[in-house]
Amino acid sequence: MSWRWALARRVAKLAATDGGGGAQAQRLLPTSSAAAGTGLLGRLHMPLASQIRSKVVGCRGAALVSSRWLHDAQYQVRQDGASRAQEQQDPFELVADELSLLANRLRSMVAAELHLQVPKLASAAEYFFKVGAEGKRFRPTVLLLMASALKFPLSESTEGGVLSILADKLRTRQQNIAEITEMIHVASLLHDDVLDDADTRRGVSSLNLIMGNKLSVLAGDFLLSRACVALAALGNTEVVSLMATAVEHLVTGETMQISTSREQRRSMEYYLQKTYYKTASLISNSCKAVAILAGHTAEVSMLAYEYGRNLGLAFQLIDDVLDFTGTSASLGKGSLSDIRHGIITAPMLYAIEEFPQLQEVVDRGFDNPANIEIALDYLRKSRGIERTKELAREHADRAVKAIESLPDSDDEDVLTSRRALIDITERVITRTK
Amino acid sequence: MLPGRILLAGLRRSASAASSVAQSPKNMCYWDRVIWSSRYFHSASDNTFSEGGSKAKELPDPFALIKDEVSEVTDRLRSMVVAEIPELTSAAGYFFRAGAEGKRTCPTVLLLMASAISTDMSDPIVGLENKPRARHVRVAEITEMIHISSLIHDDVLDNADTRRGMDSLNFTVGKKLAVLAGDFLLFRAFSAAVALDNTEVVSLLATAVNNLVTGELMQLTITPAQRCSMDYYLQKTYYKTAALISNSCKAVAVLSGQTTEVQALAYQYGRHLGIAYQLIDDILDFTGTSASLGKASFSDINQGIVTAPILFAMEEFPQLREIVEQGFDDPSSNVDVVCIESVPFSFFLVLKYLQKSQGIERTRLLAAEHAKLAAVAIDDLPPSEDPVVLSSRQALKDLTQKFLRRTK
Repeated sequence: MSWRWALARRVAKLAATDGGGGAQAQRLLPTSSAAAGTGLLGRLHMPLASQIRSKVVGCRGAALVSSRWLHDAQYQVRQDGASRAQEQQDPFELVADELSLLANRLRSMVAAELHLQVPKLASAAEYFFKVGAEGKRFRPTVLLLMASALKFPLSESTEGGVLSILADKLRTRQQNIAEITEMIHVASLLHDDVLDDADTRRGVSSLNLIMGNKLSVLAGDFLLSRACVALAALGNTEVVSLMATAVEHLVTGETMQISTSREQRRSMEYYLQKTYYKTASLISNSCKAVAILAGHTAEVSMLAYEYGRNLGLAFQLIDDVLDFTGTSASLGKGSLSDIRHGIITAPMLYAIEEFPQLQEVVDRGFDNPANIEIALDYLRKSRGIERTKELAREHADRAVKAIESLPDSDDEDVLTSRRALIDITERVITRTK
Repeated sequence: MLPGRILLAGLRRSASAASSVAQSPKNMCYWDRVIWSSRYFHSASDNTFSEGGSKAKELPDPFALIKDEVSEVTDRLRSMVVAEIPELTSAAGYFFRAGAEGKRTCPTVLLLMASAISTDMSDPIVGLENKPRARHVRVAEITEMIHISSLIHDDVLDNADTRRGMDSLNFTVGKKLAVLAGDFLLFRAFSAAVALDNTEVVSLLATAVNNLVTGELMQLTITPAQRCSMDYYLQKTYYKTAALISNSCKAVAVLSGQTTEVQALAYQYGRHLGIAYQLIDDILDFTGTSASLGKASFSDINQGIVTAPILFAMEEFPQLREIVEQGFDDPSSNVDVVCIESVPFSFFLVLKYLQKSQGIERTRLLAAEHAKLAAVAIDDLPPSEDPVVLSSRQALKDLTQKFLRRTK
């Protein structure tokens, strides 16, 4: 749960540094500093990423072509520029430019729609789509990589032919799924942070500090309604169903969190169900949607779903661990925000299994910091952290297995993306923040 | 043989009119519907032509025509909002409980519209599970869910304590759960819309949802200059009130496979009806009472929302414009504001000017204008001989008049 608070804090700090996206684009295109078009690449001439972006954000037709061209271009750089040694490519880098494209589209959509009537809201909503911290790009990255990993083989000679145009269209639609997912995610963050008057003394969300309840609710509503419009435009019943289910799950998960009874607090099963709803459902259903848009079979779509689900669960479990350990390996150095908000997570639940006395401590609540210390003590003595990590590893392995079970492909792009998806599971497990 | 039976049945029915149980149209065979709706039709014309004068003013209740079908809608809605968590189910179903349903204007209008534009003369006598009808009913359900969802969020935004004469949802379960319940309803509605398998309908409903949010945004972040603009106000009113019903009416027409002209007429009806409704609502906020409205009166002005009566009054009295532009001050925030029993003095001034002006009357005229346009849209529909169609159209027109006359 702590990454959500972290996100809120980051947003509150208003990363004014817009350099994030630009820098990444620069790294992607090493020749951009040199005269555009010459250099390592030979076959393709590549203008600056910014030129691509400005060309693309305007015209829809250009967007269709450029998105795929851009996407292919990214891979070209990989093939030609990568050293022969097994260079572990940063999976986020693989789709960095495409992501910037998405982010810009989202921002301009928000700005254009809202600016007409509501400048205040436009600037508020912009925070979320600003090119910036990595955490915010997690979902779209996974979805874009999944889209690439599921590409049907296209013969190179049909470049510019009908099939190529269809592939462009598909890519754009899959990008739309990524945008919709991000909109839903941000909307849920905004709505989750709506405070009841009783909550203000416990720990004020920084999102609300900036905007106040009203604007939070409205901004969330705005994003949800735009997501509805975008979903309607896709014209695919099954996909819309999936995303609607995802939203329902988000709402259900949040409701589970605020209305947890005492018995439910002790239950690992309840906790995992809630975690699935709150974190994994969105990414898993979007992955499945990406597969369905591509026209894959039910089996393949389920594999995509399984990947998303296990990845999401692994992510959340490690997040729970990090809330206790922070960047150090030792306990208690983390932000401890979950426990301070009375949210009992996996490590604690495991510890309670080993030490039933801990249940009483938990039931007393954690308004008293001394109580937190006692609980941490028990946690240290128990294998709670280790078992949580083991569970996370289990889910990560299942995610990898799902990717490995995908239908074989010879396409370089596809293989690179699949490797990247596997790489992401590793990063999720081993990250320290 | 057949006509004689109908005559007899008709006589019997009108004799027991007072105690007869109204059957819902979809369960009746065709001839029964003819009789049943002709009863409505005749009572309407009887009232108009017989005894002239005062009797002519008494309209039959258009809501009564399909009351039972609408009840079924509410019943089904209760089952459609079942969630995994009981708290969520009860929050989402709060306004569908028995006694909490409100006037259910949306489903009524939509079901009447569905009948009014129906060209299916060959409606078979065996038409019990009348498939096209079922889809229209679905649109009515979806619209009601979207409507309730927006009400719930509005109450959170306005910090309202009451709605429909009882505690608001946010007052009962807290703001957060209310917001979540609203989201839940919205996406349940959206899923149901998608199940209709008609992309245009889904688009229309998504547009309506978008408009609702835009309207709310317009209201929340209004600038002093915009506050005084009639155009801005009408646009906002369209978004907040009329967009949903107009798009849903059009959706009903689309589902019926009607031409674009008919679709446009349905849309126009909804639009004018919605605007007329809101204008009267604005008047009632000044002239009604808390008891009759089910919510606090003067609530618009208390929240600093400038509505049509005030806007008209401002045209007559520029001084009023100044007061409005300064904004309705919150007594706690501005120590300079003079208060009488914790109500800012500006409040009384505004009321004074309003009383002196023609604001209320002009708003009523504008509402009547829109009501007339709505009725015109109905009249422009392709002619039909079907009595059910005709009585539904009459009911829709009566509805516009009913809105104009309501006191709560």
